[in-house]
Amino acid sequence: MLPTIELEGLEVQLGGRTILHGLTGVLKSRAIGLLGPNGAGKSTLINTLLGFHKPIKGSARMLGLDANTNGKALRALVGYMPENDAFIAKMSGVRFVRYMAEISGLPPDQAMERAHEAFVYVGLGEARYRPVGTYSLGMKQLAKLAQAIAHGPKVLILDEPTNGMDPPARKRLIELIREIREASDICLLLSSHLLRDVEETCDEVLILRNGKIASICNLVEERRANRKFLELETVGVEATFTAALEALGCECAIFSNGRIKVVMPDTVEIREVFKVAADRGVQIRRMNHRRDSLEDIFLNAMEQTGAADGRI
Amino acid sequence: MAVYKRRYNPYTGSLTAAWSRFFVLTRFAFLDLFKSRFFVLLLILAIVPNLFFAGYIFVANNKTVQLLMQIRSADFLAVETQYFIIIMTVQTNVAFLLNCWVGPVLISGDLTNGALSLFLSRPFSRADYVLGKLAVLSILLSAVTWVPCLLLFGLQSGLARNGWVWSHLWMILPILLCSAIWVLMLSLMSLAVSAWVKLRIVATGVIFIAFVIPAALGEMFNAIMGTYWGALLNLSYMFRIVLERGLRDPFRLLAHMGRHEIPVPAAWAVMILVCLFCLVILNARLRARETVRG
Repeated sequence: MLPTIELEGLEVQLGGRTILHGLTGVLKSRAIGLLGPNGAGKSTLINTLLGFHKPIKGSARMLGLDANTNGKALRALVGYMPENDAFIAKMSGVRFVRYMAEISGLPPDQAMERAHEAFVYVGLGEARYRPVGTYSLGMKQLAKLAQAIAHGPKVLILDEPTNGMDPPARKRLIELIREIREASDICLLLSSHLLRDVEETCDEVLILRNGKIASICNLVEERRANRKFLELETVGVEATFTAALEALGCECAIFSNGRIKVVMPDTVEIREVFKVAADRGVQIRRMNHRRDSLEDIFLNAMEQTGAADGRI
Repeated sequence: MAVYKRRYNPYTGSLTAAWSRFFVLTRFAFLDLFKSRFFVLLLILAIVPNLFFAGYIFVANNKTVQLLMQIRSADFLAVETQYFIIIMTVQTNVAFLLNCWVGPVLISGDLTNGALSLFLSRPFSRADYVLGKLAVLSILLSAVTWVPCLLLFGLQSGLARNGWVWSHLWMILPILLCSAIWVLMLSLMSLAVSAWVKLRIVATGVIFIAFVIPAALGEMFNAIMGTYWGALLNLSYMFRIVLERGLRDPFRLLAHMGRHEIPVPAAWAVMILVCLFCLVILNARLRARETVRG
């Protein structure tokens, strides 16, 4: 299977200033999050992948297509939702989406049908005949999402999709993005300042800082690894309980107030921990999977690159 | 009302040919234009002069009507090159006015709210975009310039006898070329102004200024330097030179073709340079606005 994004020594200059400094990395997951502080180069990377900026060195490929030499073919696969306002104010919502779908190559009747479907799907069915200029900020975000998905792209690029949305609207949008991801084999590239948005929708994260890659982290593997790390609060803890767990191949550390940390090997399931506890008469009052939040990963990456750069 | 499924479906149907997609812009622009009653009225008014020209040709070639109207054929201007120069002069002025109304809003609407990035993030280039918008003005201005002019030529050919058509067939090429350069120059100028100026009234003013101010500066230059090359800045005059010399206007050929006349190649070069200049500034503007900046 082709990697979703491949970067090879990608260097991009804007106005004589180098914005991306030799980015190299391969991202294979279907849902990729793009993280970084302001000015890290996230939007520049997206614009380079869309062929708007030409790299001075190296290359950027999406689904095997070079953004510089195969730009048109690549853009035929993409649905793009930009960060800022991008609409035609006087057009009705559904006409605007139909217009964009036709430019992507859909025949007029198909474009009209897909525009209606996309509008109803994002939850703007009642407002589809209103001019886009009269929409609220959240509705404009949804209209942008509708135009990005109407033509059925293979890659969906979302730049700060939840900007300006209230919590319920944000939740609905995140659910939509997850639904889109799960309903088809679409690839997702989501750039956001909100780590939670990325955490809830993405499998892999590319963290940028000062135009350099601070970290590439596979969240699926992280989650899988963290599933094997348990924090227990027990009553009536006995040395035999931890000894029995260790006999199963677990590593245990006992703390005060009956707190135990357990690292389980892949072969051990959680039900076996419960069974051992039941056999030894130990009550498990609380059980947590350790979870390195994306925030930890992000801050860690920022600190590491900050240290490498000599600044935090 | 149709009931649509609330789930995402990938698109698996057919696609239109990539080369034809620029025409989507043209089609949508025309649909928007024809929603305006003022535009429809303007278009009808732009076509009206051609009805008078057609009537004139009909009467000029019809002895019965001339007798009924008690007029002598000699009182009429013969339908020759001079008459077609008048037709084209009227038509190109009408095209200028129509262009001033339509052109200024074609691109500014897309740039105002950053929609350009949505066009260009698809398999659609800047050239496709410009071509789509250019086609709107080219089709519209053609409909009031060379198309009716050739129809009038055809009417005259049909009504006149004695092999008029064969002796005047050469006129088709200058009619087409002169109209083409005028339409192209006006269209590109409008698009360039539309890309830089948001308000229609201001953009219309800028188009007028582009014709008037350089012409005035050129006249000042001529007066101060004692030359006639300042006329190169007068675009209407350049077009007149190209048109009258192209259609072999006897008055210009005999009386005015002298030392104080801008050569025809120079007039053509000026108009082509104006087109190229408009293309360059249009491209610069679109390139600057193709990505959304926060």
